[in-house]
Amino acid sequence: MESKFILGIYDQEETLLQAFRKMKEEGVEIEDVFTPYPIHEVLEKHGRKSRMTVVGWFYGFFAALGVLAFLFYTAVIDWPLNYGGKPSNAFPSFLVITIVLTIFSITILSLFTFSVRANLWPSNEKPIYHNKATDDKFVILVNKSKVDPGRATTLLKNAGATEVIEK
Amino acid sequence: MYNTEVRGPLILGNKSLGQITADITSPLYARPKFWWIVGLGISSVMMLLGFWAIYVTISTGIGVWGVNNTVGWGWAIINFVWWIGIGHAGTAFSIFLLILRQEWRSSINRAAEAMTVVAVGCAAIFPALHMGRIWDAFFILPYPNTRGPLWVNYNSPLFWDFIAISAYLLISASFWYLGMIPDFATIRDNTTSKVKKAAYGFFAMGWRGSVGEWKRYEGLSYILGGIAAVLVVSVHSIVSTDFAVGVEPGWHTTIFPPYFVVGAIFSGFAMVMTLMIILRRIYKLEEFVTDAHLDKVAKILIFVSLIMGTAYLTEIFVAWYSGNEYEIFTFFHNRITGEFTKQFWAMFIFNAIVPQLMWFKKIRGNLVVVFIISILINVGMWFERFNIVVTSLSKDYLPSAWASYSPTFVEVSVYLGTLGIFIFGVLLFFKYIPMIAISEVKAVNKYQLKSKEGKKPLTQNS
Repeated sequence: MESKFILGIYDQEETLLQAFRKMKEEGVEIEDVFTPYPIHEVLEKHGRKSRMTVVGWFYGFFAALGVLAFLFYTAVIDWPLNYGGKPSNAFPSFLVITIVLTIFSITILSLFTFSVRANLWPSNEKPIYHNKATDDKFVILVNKSKVDPGRATTLLKNAGATEVIEK
Repeated sequence: MYNTEVRGPLILGNKSLGQITADITSPLYARPKFWWIVGLGISSVMMLLGFWAIYVTISTGIGVWGVNNTVGWGWAIINFVWWIGIGHAGTAFSIFLLILRQEWRSSINRAAEAMTVVAVGCAAIFPALHMGRIWDAFFILPYPNTRGPLWVNYNSPLFWDFIAISAYLLISASFWYLGMIPDFATIRDNTTSKVKKAAYGFFAMGWRGSVGEWKRYEGLSYILGGIAAVLVVSVHSIVSTDFAVGVEPGWHTTIFPPYFVVGAIFSGFAMVMTLMIILRRIYKLEEFVTDAHLDKVAKILIFVSLIMGTAYLTEIFVAWYSGNEYEIFTFFHNRITGEFTKQFWAMFIFNAIVPQLMWFKKIRGNLVVVFIISILINVGMWFERFNIVVTSLSKDYLPSAWASYSPTFVEVSVYLGTLGIFIFGVLLFFKYIPMIAISEVKAVNKYQLKSKEGKKPLTQNS
């Protein structure tokens, strides 16, 4: 099979970052970067910012409204029960349930969003380019069809790659 | 953000990244040790005893317990609150310290979260049994039923409790699992065993450590961390309102919610201390969970112990200052002196006084003593819940309704059963899950690598 990708493999965060910066500078498109732990410079400069937190806020907002509406419907409209003469719409004590159920909803919905957006689900068969990328290697992946392969290889090597392989 | 020159390295031994992986995952590949199998056996026997007791309770009824009309809440509620308290450790550790950017959490959070999940599971057994007809337990859900539909009472702390604990269990379990995904991928990529590769690969869900994955992973962990911090505070506050809405003397102080939350964090941290001392010793993880880590936990324990002492004294002062004869009776003639003197002083000495010994660096540095103190704190916290539940209920306003309480064998067996579940769960955790968050430790390890090249020599302690 013909190789489609070039992999630059680095031993250290620092050398990976040097290569990463150099490639951004020269305008060589990086397909992806695989690291054993999150490196914030890479996360910030590669691709779009994650909108997980924004989405989470909206989940919370609508969940809170939904829970309050549910409590109001069941306790005030559908069957107003008299608990010791207290008002049916006991708003302050509804807040406790609203907070907890909002948290509950945010958790479930953001977990699903994470699973879908980060493309993670059980028995997922995504290609693993380098099986040390989760252990002690830092890998830059370049798509051959999007860049000049020769130039990319030289760049990766010059920045201190321990190995450059094609896959 | 923070200065390692001042704080010292978080991980000792100048480890390379590959070494970290190897050190932490080695127990997963090793054959189970003899003590591990013995422990599993003992905890299984305890679990069987517990299941027998649960069976007797369900098939015969709550009458097999020692509770009576006056003391309606016995060991079940004591143990429920005790377990929930222990369960606060994981969240307190991972989440408060995550939000406060305390990087030293990374060696301990995985074990603390494991404890949380198992302990909250144990806790949930007690209120479920205490409901009585457990087969009708689903009545607590607000669903469109054929009885009206008659909805549940949203003003009842018992209902708040139900949703708070369900939410807490779900969030702590998902936060724990989320943290494990990158580590499962590490095992998948490193193991030579086909079974392990398939099993851990299944749970790693195709994690590769790409930019997109890490970005969303961080986003999600901050979402879960942020909202779970609110939940930690609210769960135990809600547990305290179970008491505080009652009319019993001794349950009236307005400090109840913070008092319960602090107590929970106290017993949780003590349990983390107990567990980490054992774990680092048997698995030789002293370079990851360093003396400096335990020193920090000990300092937190001293501080929280002071808050506990203040809370106890505040309660007693307010009882006296209120001039209410029932409050005065409960605190002065039923706790400090009287029928439950031993339990009261066990609580006070173990929680408020003994931990103060750790002000001395020598004592803090002696892990045998620290280990004993951490166990005593958990015993003391158990007595605190005993004091709150039993002393107030046994003698309230009408002397004709006074009654004493002692647990039956079945009640004690349920408790032993949950201890068995806890030990069993923790042992499985030791064997099948990386005990320390590998990816997080790698991220903090780089500070050490950097400073190695720097000029200043590093001191180990702050």
